[in-house]
Amino acid sequence: MSGGFAERVDAALADPILKLAVERTAGTAEAKRTLAIDAFADFEAARDRAAAIKDHVIANLGGYLERFEANAVAAGAVVHWARTSQEACDIVIGLCKAAGAKSVARSKSMLGEEIGLPHALAEAGITRVETDLAEHIIQLSGERPSHIIWPAMHKTREQVSVLFKANHRDPHTEETIAAMAESARRHLREGMLAADVGICGANFLIADTGAVCTVTNEGNAELSLVPPRMQIVTAGIEKIVPSMGHAVHMLRMLARSATGAPLTQYTTFYTGPKRPGDRDGPEEMHIVLVDNGRTAMREDGLAEMLRCIRCGACMNHCVVFRQIGGHAYGGTYPGPMGAVLTPAIDGLAANRDLPNACTLNGKCQEVCPVRIPLPTLLRGWREKSWREGLEPKATRAGIGLWAWAARRPRLYRTATATALTALRLLGRTGWLSNVPLAGGWTRHRDLPKPAAESFMAQYKKGQRQ
Amino acid sequence: MTTTPRVALFVTCLVDLIRPRIGFASIAALEAAGCEVVVPEAQTCCGQPALNSGDRKTAEDFARRNIALLEGYDQVVVPSGSCAATIRVHYPEILEHDAAWFPRAQALAAKTFEILAYLDEVRGWKPEGVALPTTATYHDSCSGLRELGIKRQPRRLLAAIDGLELKPLAGAETCCGFGGTFCVKYPAISNSIVGEKTAAIDAAGADLLLAGDLGCLMNMAGKLHRDGSPVRAFHAVELLAGMGDGPAIGEEA
Amino acid sequence: MTARDAILSRLGGTMTPSAIADEAAALLVAPERPPVAMTALEETFAERLALPSVAASYDRIADWSEVPEAVRRYCAANGLPVVLCLPPDPRLTALDWDGVTLHDGAAPDEDAALAIARCGVAETGSLVFETSPEAPMLPNFLALHHLVIVPTLVAHLEDAILPGAQPRAHYWVTGVSGTTDIEGTYVRGAHGPRFLHVIRLATPLKR
Repeated sequence: MSGGFAERVDAALADPILKLAVERTAGTAEAKRTLAIDAFADFEAARDRAAAIKDHVIANLGGYLERFEANAVAAGAVVHWARTSQEACDIVIGLCKAAGAKSVARSKSMLGEEIGLPHALAEAGITRVETDLAEHIIQLSGERPSHIIWPAMHKTREQVSVLFKANHRDPHTEETIAAMAESARRHLREGMLAADVGICGANFLIADTGAVCTVTNEGNAELSLVPPRMQIVTAGIEKIVPSMGHAVHMLRMLARSATGAPLTQYTTFYTGPKRPGDRDGPEEMHIVLVDNGRTAMREDGLAEMLRCIRCGACMNHCVVFRQIGGHAYGGTYPGPMGAVLTPAIDGLAANRDLPNACTLNGKCQEVCPVRIPLPTLLRGWREKSWREGLEPKATRAGIGLWAWAARRPRLYRTATATALTALRLLGRTGWLSNVPLAGGWTRHRDLPKPAAESFMAQYKKGQRQ
Repeated sequence: MTTTPRVALFVTCLVDLIRPRIGFASIAALEAAGCEVVVPEAQTCCGQPALNSGDRKTAEDFARRNIALLEGYDQVVVPSGSCAATIRVHYPEILEHDAAWFPRAQALAAKTFEILAYLDEVRGWKPEGVALPTTATYHDSCSGLRELGIKRQPRRLLAAIDGLELKPLAGAETCCGFGGTFCVKYPAISNSIVGEKTAAIDAAGADLLLAGDLGCLMNMAGKLHRDGSPVRAFHAVELLAGMGDGPAIGEEA
Repeated sequence: MTARDAILSRLGGTMTPSAIADEAAALLVAPERPPVAMTALEETFAERLALPSVAASYDRIADWSEVPEAVRRYCAANGLPVVLCLPPDPRLTALDWDGVTLHDGAAPDEDAALAIARCGVAETGSLVFETSPEAPMLPNFLALHHLVIVPTLVAHLEDAILPGAQPRAHYWVTGVSGTTDIEGTYVRGAHGPRFLHVIRLATPLKR
């Protein structure tokens, strides 16, 4: 991912395969979600409740984290705290080294991507087995996820086939998606069963039991976390829910919003390491609670963003995401939620395009299961960017000139009358196809020729059409 | 209603400069619906370009200016969902910190309406004796739809036009890619979005494209024209005022 | 200052513990969820198992003694060798497994594993498990065919919650190991079971 946002967008828009691949997966997800929501009576009230549960937790986060920690420790887990991604990676690598780990099996975790764990493992010389099928695909292609639910959404079956044939010992011979999945099954099983450490994220942390909840449809979390002798969980501090009952409500919302299913195929709550007499499970369980900007978001007007349960509905329904895919956003998290999160995690200066490259159409907010006011939060970033002088000079000058004139109605009328006359000279028909300084518009579409006289001028003359 | 409300028409900067016809159609429809229409002379823009560009201070200036200009009327009507939503939804938001202006912003918000919602819901009006034997398809502009709940109102009003057949538009609630300054800041993305929209409009098989926001209409009509589509575009209020037989957007009178 | 203290120092709330507890409890009152008629638990559960996202096959037996025959029946119907990974649960080891080859540790390429769910959930068709010395977890994820005995049903997911101290793992299985990671196309048997077979036990054995 090189270059700036504009270069990444140009590359994405020039790639017809990307467009096709994104459309296939996001289009299917959108249709399935619609069916699931239509079948769920009172989904709007359920969204209110989900938002209220998260707000309740975020308002009382300190107490809930302490309660979670106490219960997890009582169950035999070790709880670690990390302020930054560096601290989090250092803790994980330290644990792996102390365990003498040569290989780790990783179950897809966006937090792991956020803190740069794949890179940290590579630097430490530890073999990483990505067990989610999509993460496996992008590990082979050396890419980053392009979607938080379908990280390899940008890949077509043909591209996956080439990767598997080049990397699997016993690859598929038949060019079907089922045969490719079977090839990955054969290839990955060995790595999962041989791993020294299993690493996962958390969909929820249950405060009153100390349990960590993971959800998958593939069952790869369980296969990655049960055989190794050590389990490491890296979780954002906002993942807390008070109890199992609250988790149930959030799970209903998560599955329907993500894939349209009533529930994920495998939903597991891990509480501590294996117990005396248990036939399987890890000897040690470590939980790393990661801040990485979350306490600052809570303080700086982005508390509502901490409601996010990473379902991906906002990006599946985003007209911009559907055109440019996830990689163009440049951060760990793409789409509307990424456009809010990435400036908070990676800084606004390098990411000011993200909150701006949005039509503010409100669809993301409409589908968000926890009612995050994404357009409002994106406007907030635009205001900060303006205040800090990060917006381009031409934009500032344009808005400034327009505002200066529009606050002086008489001058505005004279100036616009002159502009109308000038513009009308540019075309002989009712359409203008090339307007100086308006190339952004006329490069792709025609501009209706403005009126000969403005409404206000005609109205004043009492001239009715 | 027995009393005649004194309604301020906030015409919007795009209608003022690009298509005054929508302003005159609005006056005609409002008068037919029993309103006394006033056009405050000092109006220019609602301030949305500043608001959406992050220039909060300028946006607040425009909000205060327009509140002072418009608060003396019984109601304020706007032939645009996004400009109406700026006054109705965003003025109170951005002036919430200002003890003097916040109540005034709330009061103005409560009596400001998008024109189609106003005609249908507030006035309970329907066009009478208006005929236009043709087919049309309707795009729901995002601000009107999601910030003001405008969906059924234009369809109820248009259904009262004799001979007009509304054809469904696939993805009618999907953004057209206009987004105010978005379309010139990120033209390539905007073009890609509007290309899908115009393909759906062509597939709807209607003669006319209707909507309630001139910005979105200019975007869609401009793309349709560039691509040689025969579909012609109007603001819905033009048809309601019996002006659907005149020049469409981009056609010379 | 430790990382823990640094984080917690910024997360202070203003509510008292009892106010927090009251608010949390209030958030659980009358949750929105798919309705399940208590008189139709069996039918609802069977319907959910048939959903494409679950796609489990379903058999019904009267008591535990019929389990081995139900397993033989399933293996025969699917052309499987009558070889089974069996957890060391006395409710199963006590049965007459004549003609079935048993082992208790799952092989990496295990064909079939049998397990006992604590309950089934009518709302979703989920099967609820907990780990214990008699209930290992790995076989249920390694085997291609996952056979599950369901002794009892509950209406909603909330009813499946285990009160009190938790086992190492509490897990809900709602279908087979599936993936839509290549072009959104659904494939069964991504990593774990490709087939899920539910054996509904109408009259559970008293332990």
